[in-house]
Order: sequence, then C-alpha cells, then structure tokens
Amino acid sequence: MADLQKEFNSYTKDLNKASKDENIKKAITRAVKSYRETTAETLTRFPHTPAMAEEVREIKTKSIANNSELLKQAMESVERNKGKAFYAKDKQEALEMTAKIIGVGKTIVKGKSMLGEELAIREYLEEKGNEVWETDLGEFILQLNHEKPMHILSPSIHVPREQVAELFTKFFKKEVPPDIAQEVAVVREFLREKYFTADVGISGANVVAADTGAMVIIENEGNVRLSTGAPPVHIVLVGIEKIVPTFQDAMKVAEVTWRYAQYGVPGYVNIISGPSKTGDIEKVTTYGAHGPKEFYVIFVDNGRSDMAKEEEFSEALNCLRCGGCMYECPVFQVTAGHFGHVYMSGIGAVWTAFVAGGLEKAAPLVFTCLRCGRCVERCPMKINVPSMIQKLREQVVDG
Amino acid sequence: MMVAEIKLPPVLEIIRGNIVKHGNPLAMKGTEVAAWAKELKLPERGDLLFYTGGEYQLLPFIDSLVSTMTLMDQGSKVFSLMMGARNIINKTGINAEKLYASVLAKDRERFNSISYKAAIILQKLGYDLCYAGKKELYSGALLSELGFSEDMKSYAVKVAEVLKQSGAKTIVCLSPHAAEVFKFVYPKLIKDFPFEIKTFVELVWDKRHMLPAIKSSETVVIHDSCRLARELAIDEELRDILQSMGVPFREARCNRKWTTCCGGPNKLLFPDISHTIAARRVEELEETGADLILTSCPYCLSALQGGQAKDKDKDNKIKIEDLIEFLYRGFEA
Repeated sequence: MADLQKEFNSYTKDLNKASKDENIKKAITRAVKSYRETTAETLTRFPHTPAMAEEVREIKTKSIANNSELLKQAMESVERNKGKAFYAKDKQEALEMTAKIIGVGKTIVKGKSMLGEELAIREYLEEKGNEVWETDLGEFILQLNHEKPMHILSPSIHVPREQVAELFTKFFKKEVPPDIAQEVAVVREFLREKYFTADVGISGANVVAADTGAMVIIENEGNVRLSTGAPPVHIVLVGIEKIVPTFQDAMKVAEVTWRYAQYGVPGYVNIISGPSKTGDIEKVTTYGAHGPKEFYVIFVDNGRSDMAKEEEFSEALNCLRCGGCMYECPVFQVTAGHFGHVYMSGIGAVWTAFVAGGLEKAAPLVFTCLRCGRCVERCPMKINVPSMIQKLREQVVDG
Repeated sequence: MMVAEIKLPPVLEIIRGNIVKHGNPLAMKGTEVAAWAKELKLPERGDLLFYTGGEYQLLPFIDSLVSTMTLMDQGSKVFSLMMGARNIINKTGINAEKLYASVLAKDRERFNSISYKAAIILQKLGYDLCYAGKKELYSGALLSELGFSEDMKSYAVKVAEVLKQSGAKTIVCLSPHAAEVFKFVYPKLIKDFPFEIKTFVELVWDKRHMLPAIKSSETVVIHDSCRLARELAIDEELRDILQSMGVPFREARCNRKWTTCCGGPNKLLFPDISHTIAARRVEELEETGADLILTSCPYCLSALQGGQAKDKDKDNKIKIEDLIEFLYRGFEA
C-alpha cells in the first residue's frame, strides 16, 4: 500500500523549498507578466483566434472520439509517403522501437518534446550506448545541469544567466561570461557540429494530419529544422491524441497552439510528411537528397486510449500543450514545475495519472490543485481541470 | 490507469470523519455553532432558510489548527491528536471546550458575529428568516471537494432532511462553497431537492436600493471569490452593491472571472504554499492603493488574513473584511 503521507512529506518539502527560491520567483513573475502582455497583444492583433480556438476544440473532440480510425489513416499516409509508421502501445514498446531503429554507438540530436520526457527517451538511448544532445537551448541547459524541466515550453525558466554562464564555463572548458548573446552563441557553435555529424534526429510533433501524414512542429530557435533536416534519419515520436483529420485542420490547431503559447507568430513551422526526395535526374525518385533518407513515425499510446474511453477525462486529450494554464495557476506561479510529475500543474496531474506514473504519482498533485478554475479561463480548449481533479480525488479516496 | 491502494494523510481522514460523525469538519457541537443566534430567536420554519453551515463560526478554529500544522509534521502523533481533538476527547473525557478555547480560539468573537451580522442585515432589508439552530449541519462541501463522494451520498441525505424540516422554498447561503454544493451537487444526490439556492450577496443585491449610504474615507477593493465569480457567476452584483452605497472602489489587475485564488483550498494539506499564494493575492490587491479588501467568502477571508499575517515587516497593513462586516458597519452608522 502506498503511504500517501510519506509521498506528501517529501513532495511538500520540495514544494516549500521551491516557493522560497528567489530564482523561481523572479523568473516566473517576469514570465507571467510577459505571457499576459504578449497574449493580450496578439489576441488583439489576431482577433479571430478565440473563434478559431472553439473550432479547434470541436476538431480535437471529434478526433479523439474517432482516434483509432485516424491513427490507421495517418499510418497509411506516412507509409504512402515512403516513411515507416509504428504504433507503440506503451512506454516500453516506444523505447524499444526507437532503440531498434537507432542501434548503438550513434549520435542523436533531439528537439524538445513532452512525450520525450514522458518516455525518458534520452536517458534510455544513452543507457543503450548512444550520445544524445538536447538541441532546444532550455533543454540543453537542463541536460548539462541534470535537472528536469520547470515549464513545458520554457523548461529552464528558473535558471538565470549567471548560473548558465557558470554551467557553460565548466562544460565548454572556457570562460563564458554571463551575457545571454554569448551564451546563445557558444551553444550554437557547439550544436552546429552535432547536427551535421549526428546519425539520427528525433522530434515530437504538435499536430499530425491524418490525410497527408504531415507532422507539424512549431518552434522559434531553428533547432528542430536542423535536427530534423540535417541527419540521415529522422524519427518522430508523437502521442496518438495529436492526430486530426485533415491538413487544414492541422493548420488551425497549430495556429491556436502557438497563439496561446505566447509565440504570436512563431519563427518556424515545420511540416514534414516523409523522407527527403528528388526526381530531378530523369524523373527517377531518389530518397535522401538533402534531408533524411529515412523517416520514421512512432505513434505512442501509453494510456491515451484509456483516457479517451473515460467520459470524465477524455477532454484532457484536447490539451494543445500551449502552457497558458501554467502561467495562470497560482500554485505553479510559486513553485514552477515542482508542482508536477513529468506533466505539470492541474492538467499535468490528470496526464500524470494516465500516462506518466499513475494515480500514486498524481495523488500529491491532485491534492495541491486549488480547483480555483483560472486555468479554464485561459485554456483555449476550455478543459475542465477542476472537475477532473475532483474525480481523481474520488479515485484516490476510494482506491 | 494504474490504481494502487493509497493510504491518505491523516488530516483528510479526520476532516472526513468529523463531518460524517459530527456534522462539521472540526467536530464542534451544534450548540456551539448556533450560539450566535441566541438573541435573535429565529423560527425554525419559514419560507427563507438562513444557512450558515457553521463556516464563519469555525474559521478561527481552522486557522489555529493550520498554524499548529505549520509547526508540526503532519504524520506525527501529536498532529493527529490535535486534528481529532474531539474524537479523542470523546473517548478519554478531556474537556473539549477548554482545549479548543485555550489552544485554538482567538478570533472567536469576531467570526461568530459575522453570521449574526448577516442575519441582521437581511432582516433590515425586509427578509423573514428561519434558522435550524443547533440542528444545522455543515453542507459537506469539503467531502465533495476532497473526493469523499461515497460519504457525501449518505451525508447529503442527512443534511437535506434538516433543510426540509424548515419548510423553506429558498435557502440563503453565507458561503459560496455551500451555495455551490447545494446548487450543483445536491440535485444529483437527492431525488427531491426542491430548494432555490441563493447567496447572501444576491439577496442584498435584490434590495440594494434599501442599503444605507456609507460615508467612508476608505477606498475599497473587491477580492472576488473563485466560487462566487466563476462557478456562480456573481461578480457585477458586488460592484452594484458598493455603488448603491456610494462607496468608491478600485479593481485589482485580476478581477471578476479572472480573479486570483486566495490559496485557501489547499491550506489543510499545504499550509506553507497556501500562505504564500494568499500573500501574493494580498499584494495584488494592495497594488490598487485601496485601504480595505472586501470579500464574500469565509475561506477567502481567513486565507487572505493568513497571507497578510505572514508578512510581519509591514506596519501599514491593508484592512481585510467580509462584505457582511462592512455592510453591518454601514447600517450601524
């Protein structure tokens, strides 16, 4: 029997410590302010967004209800595009499939992905004897610091430039001053070499179009472009809940996602549907022109279809991972990702319960949530987190 | 989903047990909870049932418990003893009143009088109230909120029984938590639950033309309670009430549906975090430059005060009151 009191005690200590951390306080306060300002500004600039969000909510709800059909269709589309599509029913299968494609002794460049965190894919591939580099700057910092992300979009939100400088100076074995531009520059130089020598690039996807097999990946840094474009092999690991019927649907989902994710207009939107190809010589299609010759998509279930079956929770699969709710959450504002287990804050408690550790890991989070409902005000999908939290509490209580 | 058997922290079990066995989260006696109403001699039957749920009356006890908890490991024996004071007392014969009074109660007078003041205000506005007195039971909102749905099913039957004895058509709730649970949860649990559920705020709003003008030099800021603003969609009413009394007020950055939670809901399990959240909300409200924070929820009142108390360095503290206290001062002046 799991003694929740013990879990609570260590978790509470961690939360309390986080709430007294000046870095977290400073960073989150700044981030919340900037999130609210940018979002308000871009919603004014693109006033069609809330209506589009409603449309996306319907698209997502229908897609989740029709998930097995869409999954079949998406896999067929990927195969038709000369990619290879797989379905992984759980974490272990997803890890093994990935490792089988990659093998050992390889260098891998990886884009940021919450599913990657859920699977702990980097750690797994490293154990198998590979070298894995996080290419998102925030994730890279955490990789060097052996830390877990503190926000789904800004994982190293809590690490100030001085700490970054210290970390980089040690890692690069040369003096890196606490100057953000210079910090960015050293990582750019270091990873540039990795992109072009790596054997495999791994990414997630924000949304998948079943009709075309298109993976849509939103980003600002350009690291996803390079990770998915430069190495000879590209592997996409994506949750089955990300599939929507059409390419046009996918565009709507993407736009709503980035708008609520404070991107306004993102630097890059990558759309990848298959391996790189050319027909320029005698119209003979040849794969691996400039980009990857091999393209794999692993659709990961790992509890998602169970969630879809439960009326009270299926709506949680609509989550776009824009992270807007976290900026609104009073608990998150004082504790950052410490209020989480892989997935963070109220919605994270729901996800943790189903896909990332079960009710036991979710229980402390479930009771930390205030059920205040401000996340629902922000959420473009209007996911009723307070009601789900209450249902999870019932499950904790009733066993 | 992986479902393991999970042993709950003792505080949850004790709260649950107290509600189920004693009709309120702290196992207070009905006579104690109803003490405020002695002079008023309200009838037990009528059209409009005044419902306190004991929530304001219990606040100082909850607060003292929370400060005890902040100093104590929740898993410790002493802690369980404190939380289950009445349970243990019943078995061993220690004087409960003495223990509660000496260890815990400090603002007893103030919080007991809030229910009294609310009743007086409603009477002055022309409402005929009835009240269940010592038979009144806590709504069970915490059972529902904490996930004790099985207990809630049987508990709600007992509560509904008492409510029905009043013969009332309408129930006026002082706490938005009670209003929420009566409005949205009870109709699902009780086949015949024919009551119209109103909050204190709504009844005052209906008769706002009868409110006295308040000549006050204080500038007010409203702290919207989450339940009131988001679940019950009552926000503009609070502003209307102030306006009809000629009270100047300001708006916090996060107001109405976008109000920031006071931190109250996780006070029992995470008192430190709860206090930090409360302190931040107080800061948000202070930013407006107002002199007085008004709220209309017992838990907000208690949580915001707790958040403020933590901030020991400040001398010019903003005042925090319940709307009931504020209105009553208006009637008295």
